[in-house]
Amino acid sequence: MSFDYILSQFVNGIKLGSIYAVVAIGYSMVYGILKLINFAHGDLMTVGVYTMLVLMGFSGIPIWLVILVGCGMSIIFGMTMEKLVYRPLRGSGEETTLIASLAVSVFLQNLISMIFSPQKRAFHLPDFLTQTYRLGSITLSVMNILTFISIVIILIALTLMLKKTKIGMAMRACSDNLAASQLMGIKINTVVAAAFVIGSGLAGLTGLMLAGEYKTIEPLMGFVPGLKAFCAAVLGGIGSLNGAVLGGFIIGIAEMLFAGLMPTDITPYRDAFIFLLLIVVLLVKPNGILGSSEGGRS
Amino acid sequence: MKKKLFGAVLTAAVLASSMTAMAEEETIKIGALFNLTGGQASIDTPSYQGFKLRADEINAAGGINGRQIEVISYDGKTDQATCANNAKKMIDVDGCVVVSGFSDSNYALAAGAIAQERQVPFVITGATLPDLCEQIGDYAFMVPFGDDTCAYAAAEYAYAEIGTKCYMMVDQSMEFTKTLASCFEERFTELGGEIVGSDSYMNGDPDFSAQIDRFLNDEGGSEFLFFSSVPNDAGPLVLQFRDKGVTLPIVSGDGFDTPLVAEVAGDQAYDVYISTHCSYTNEAENVQNFVKAYTDAYGTAPENAFAALGYDAMDLIGKALEKVEDPTDTAAIRDAIESTTDFKGVTGTISYTADSHKPDKTASILELVDGQFQFITEE
Amino acid sequence: MRYRDNPAVRFVCFVLIPLLILIICAMNRGHYYSDLICLFGINAILAVSLNLVNGFSGMFSMGHAAFMAVGAYTSALLTISESQKGRMAGLPAWFQTFTLPFPLALLCAGAAAALLALLIGFPVLRLKNHYLSVATLGLIVIVRAFLDNEDQFTNGARGITGLPSYSNIVTVFVTALLLLYIMYRLIRCSSYGRGLIAMRDDDVAAQTLGVRLVTKKISIFCLSAFAAGIGGALWGHLQSVISGQFFYFTDSFEIVEMSIIGGMFSLSGGIVGALVMTFLPEILAPLETGLVIGGVQLPELYGASNLILAVLLILLIIFRRQGILGYSEIIMESIFSKRTYTGLFQARTYRDLAAATRAKLAGIGKGKQTCK
Repeated sequence: MSFDYILSQFVNGIKLGSIYAVVAIGYSMVYGILKLINFAHGDLMTVGVYTMLVLMGFSGIPIWLVILVGCGMSIIFGMTMEKLVYRPLRGSGEETTLIASLAVSVFLQNLISMIFSPQKRAFHLPDFLTQTYRLGSITLSVMNILTFISIVIILIALTLMLKKTKIGMAMRACSDNLAASQLMGIKINTVVAAAFVIGSGLAGLTGLMLAGEYKTIEPLMGFVPGLKAFCAAVLGGIGSLNGAVLGGFIIGIAEMLFAGLMPTDITPYRDAFIFLLLIVVLLVKPNGILGSSEGGRS
Repeated sequence: MKKKLFGAVLTAAVLASSMTAMAEEETIKIGALFNLTGGQASIDTPSYQGFKLRADEINAAGGINGRQIEVISYDGKTDQATCANNAKKMIDVDGCVVVSGFSDSNYALAAGAIAQERQVPFVITGATLPDLCEQIGDYAFMVPFGDDTCAYAAAEYAYAEIGTKCYMMVDQSMEFTKTLASCFEERFTELGGEIVGSDSYMNGDPDFSAQIDRFLNDEGGSEFLFFSSVPNDAGPLVLQFRDKGVTLPIVSGDGFDTPLVAEVAGDQAYDVYISTHCSYTNEAENVQNFVKAYTDAYGTAPENAFAALGYDAMDLIGKALEKVEDPTDTAAIRDAIESTTDFKGVTGTISYTADSHKPDKTASILELVDGQFQFITEE
Repeated sequence: MRYRDNPAVRFVCFVLIPLLILIICAMNRGHYYSDLICLFGINAILAVSLNLVNGFSGMFSMGHAAFMAVGAYTSALLTISESQKGRMAGLPAWFQTFTLPFPLALLCAGAAAALLALLIGFPVLRLKNHYLSVATLGLIVIVRAFLDNEDQFTNGARGITGLPSYSNIVTVFVTALLLLYIMYRLIRCSSYGRGLIAMRDDDVAAQTLGVRLVTKKISIFCLSAFAAGIGGALWGHLQSVISGQFFYFTDSFEIVEMSIIGGMFSLSGGIVGALVMTFLPEILAPLETGLVIGGVQLPELYGASNLILAVLLILLIIFRRQGILGYSEIIMESIFSKRTYTGLFQARTYRDLAAATRAKLAGIGKGKQTCK
């Protein structure tokens, strides 16, 4: 097994991991404040991507507008579900909201299936985005590089926002203690809405990345990546942005190395391996790798 | 409390109504079991349309011995439990005397067990597990050939025309793909070919990059690729391999016989060869008549060979029903279907014997040219 | 006295009518609707056993499908014929001809599932809340991977066919009643159950009072898995075909939904949830195939029933968070407590019933306000 080969699988892992990372950031934003696992997060990607598909059907709309409107649609759906479902449930048990988010997920999946048919569809981005470059055994597309750059930008922007702006500070306060923040005069609804806007917008963006990478979309495309990204967020320490990114990369790379380096009769255990890894890490570090002290373990 | 009461009353009412419904019937009810949504939809939907087309034709020509056919259909949702449930409902509630359908063995097995238990003939339109009928029982009949025929044809063509060294990609989570791959391997190595490597993936994985890099790292001098996949993964597989610069010919079985390959992979879908049930570029009269009738009815040419299989299945059932005096006697219908000899269908000639409910048909080799599958040869 | 407390009413609603339905179904053995009722019985086992963990121990598991799968495969391997086993090359020679009678196979199915729960319980149950939920989801993925890939034991993706159809109204409901009775006695009529509820409400306080948290958690998890394994086995014998596809996220979520809809803090809630989730899709199904209303053919809307179910679930969670039954244990109490049956022979029961009816009639006469 040559170094080149391992490197190429490593790069595959980074590509996949960068997608998980962006989804995981979205998860973390919402989870940090509401302690809500939003299973429907993955389906917000699907909403965004299908919007983009429709828009690309009309010729003459520039691609940046398509992407913007797609993300906008994800945000609208995200806000709506926060307002209609999660807000009335605020303060109820974690399990209740978890189930509610599952129901929202099922709703969105079936809605999209009914409107667009459940078939896989081709999703072709403009050529300049899918242009690939080859360096030895590594293939990289413009999309991959943009994804990577956007992670850095998102991470810096969000960190700055959380540290420097008023709403960011409010978010951190809410994340520490929602009830106390409310008593201190923070408008919780605004803060939660802001978290959902950021999370949903990122979901739309990841939808684009996912569809751009695999060039096919289907109504159920968001669920499994969503679940794995959630694993990433938990692995890195949920609620921490750096942790989410780290977790995303770890899971992506682990998955690809497992699929690429193990004997082929073990590779079908790829997804099982990811979950096993998660369980093991949680047992050693119950709050995830970069997680805060407040408990995952009883 | 009210819920429970409500449920109880409702069930009792439904039970009563269904039993009276079974008593009086004028049409002959035939159950069409297809997955109209989910991963199987791209091959099951054409099959269902072909099935309905023939039923409509029979009805327009006066029905069967003066009685009209009614096709009852529920969506199997590409879920085995739902498929089994639908079969049960068609037979018990709707009173279907024959059920038919499915293009994949996993679903056919689930529904077949139900039909066998109730002694209702089950005509399988497109599922190709070689020992499917033995597994289900004597009420099951296959319209298509078995995977062995399909894979052997692919292996023979590939060995003669494409190359002697093959690399395989196999979907590990489906019965059909595993059987197809092992049959292909068996015949290909028997002929003197060599499987230089094989890799696997799970149904629905979106990402094949790890497998592709593993292949690129160790091609083993392979001259072509054999993909054993279900329709939903066919397009992405071709596309991702081509995107990574793999230009080798691709060979596959009837799971690739879907418009999705060309749709998803676009101009990257070149040098793709498949072995499937029939070809619409065949000049034979009955084939062209079918293509015309299908195009007239649905506004599009038959999407793949499964459309013709659905059509043949209904045709076969119709011919058998004509021979039966009492179309509610499922045992007599079974015997009538079993006595089918030299039935000329769009997809070939079908004859059953008491020992074998799997027809001995030939497979067509097609090549994907400009987004359309073109006929090359018959094996 | 309210109607719902009256033994006669309870007897009629929860014992007599269900029993009559069961008898009707038992006479139409194998019919679609009989099988649907069987499915309800199995779902009730699954949902109630999930409530044991989710409602009474303060943990939240979503991995029931994994235990069902283990149960179903165990029972299948122990009961299928030799010719079926011949396809699985990896089975040891003595096992090829080894079959067990159905009740024993069921027990083994439950035991195997409980064993799995025990094995993974020690590490996983140390996790809390969401972390536990995700870990149990992971368990489903892991079990599925085994079922699909260990061909020599599980027949791979083909699954196992030709399971003897042992599941019918009698076997399913006898098993269900037995299991429900055990769970009911354990939770509601023993110190074990009281300790469990104490742990759910406040684990630290419970610990100081001498409740052993780890033992409690593991044991209830295993018990729940045991019932789920039996449920899965019954389900396999009802379908007569099983494969890894049957036991995945959707199936697990469905059971969680049952438990939430009926009310997870009550064992009876599981029964109500199973009732709703078994029959509601059946009622909604005509929507999908293009219903004809007043001569107008509606379009075929595949997926509509799932959509409506999801909306109903969300509405229920928002407006009745504790589920339909809440904390009430009325169904179990009615079926299993002696009072229901002894009450039938007391004149007081009927006097109360008459009085309650008179009061109600009078209330209707005077209008609604006075009724309150």
